[in-house]
Amino acid sequence: MASDRVLTVSRAMAEAIGQEMRTDPNVFVMGEDIGAYGGIFGATQGLLEEFGEERVRDTPISETAFIGAGVGAAMSGMRPIVELMFVDFFGVCMDAIYNMAAKNIYFSGGHFKVPLVIMTATGGGYCDAGQHSQTLHATFAHMPGLKVVAPSNAYDAKGLMISAIRDDSPVLYMFHKGLQGLVWMASPEGAATGVPEESYTVPFGEAKVVRPGNDVTIVTLSMMVHRALEAAETLAGEGIDAEVIDLRTLVPLDREKVLRSVAKTGRLVVVDEDYQSFGVTAEIIASVAETDPAMLKAAPRRVAYPDIPIPYSRPMEQFALPNAKKIADAVRQTLDLKKAA
Amino acid sequence: MAEIRIPDDLWDTAEVPEGVVANWFFADRGQVPKGATVAEITVEKTSFDIVSPESGRLRIVVPKDGIVLPGTLIGQIEDG
Repeated sequence: MASDRVLTVSRAMAEAIGQEMRTDPNVFVMGEDIGAYGGIFGATQGLLEEFGEERVRDTPISETAFIGAGVGAAMSGMRPIVELMFVDFFGVCMDAIYNMAAKNIYFSGGHFKVPLVIMTATGGGYCDAGQHSQTLHATFAHMPGLKVVAPSNAYDAKGLMISAIRDDSPVLYMFHKGLQGLVWMASPEGAATGVPEESYTVPFGEAKVVRPGNDVTIVTLSMMVHRALEAAETLAGEGIDAEVIDLRTLVPLDREKVLRSVAKTGRLVVVDEDYQSFGVTAEIIASVAETDPAMLKAAPRRVAYPDIPIPYSRPMEQFALPNAKKIADAVRQTLDLKKAA
Repeated sequence: MAEIRIPDDLWDTAEVPEGVVANWFFADRGQVPKGATVAEITVEKTSFDIVSPESGRLRIVVPKDGIVLPGTLIGQIEDG
């Protein structure tokens, strides 16, 4: 019988992990509160009951130890999924990520694989301050040897998770807290989607045009896809037809799809919740400029987090976050129009 | 036609006065198979899955974010 099932992102992630655990005994999960609690963002809900403590392992609060153990397990033939509860905690396990996970395939001359998935929560907007609200896409996309994915909805979340588990390289799976569908954090319409019950993959390196348009290209990912679509709706009311591209994966990066879109529209706005300088926004603009700056009819614009530590105070944090109004204003600038009042 | 109700003994209202419909996993008027998880109820920090008693077409009575108590009728499964 046909089903009209709609899943939240967190349920889609847990379903993907469960399906891979059923078919491959080498897949297991480790992390803080991922067992009985089901992950503080719900990504491992129900797994302990089905697979038991051997394969769903609650760890002590030492990212240094359990991310390092994940690298070792991956090099020994297992396919671990390790949850770094908040991406902000990467500091204490950065040697395991940057110098071991990312480099050991190269250092071993290809004799070892590192099929490790590090899933980690990103993003702010809920008053959790500067060490629980960062996005840090660029910090990981910058390092050769790591693949980086960041889904914007449940369908992609399941397919990208299955691709990540089956990949022989380390993958940073960066999920935004505000998209998970948790009762204590509102998620945008469109984060929960129809999700097929059977197993399927979303391939890495394929961005998706989530809204076709002819006047301007908005390139973004994760939560900001929803803010960009909101901006595109507003702009449509003014007769501006924006194309929105969801990158879905940062490494590998689908530059082709961005270039094709900008060749069509001639205008580019890049949106990222990560810090502005030295980040995703600059990389996308550089990709266009290096290929053919004559494609651009106007200076490209970026809308990203200002280069400041994230404030705790709600009004201050909301002031700093990228949003639909800032995106729409940036689009109007590329069209040489005044800001909305 | 079948009712989807919060079980009477799901939690003690003397300790926690009310719960919330955290999510519906099928759209209103969507086709639901028997035994599928249709909704998630949150009571303080604890989540409970509610399963469909029958196959059929879902009619949502209490939408997402609605307040519920043990015994509350949250939806119905209609024939067809």
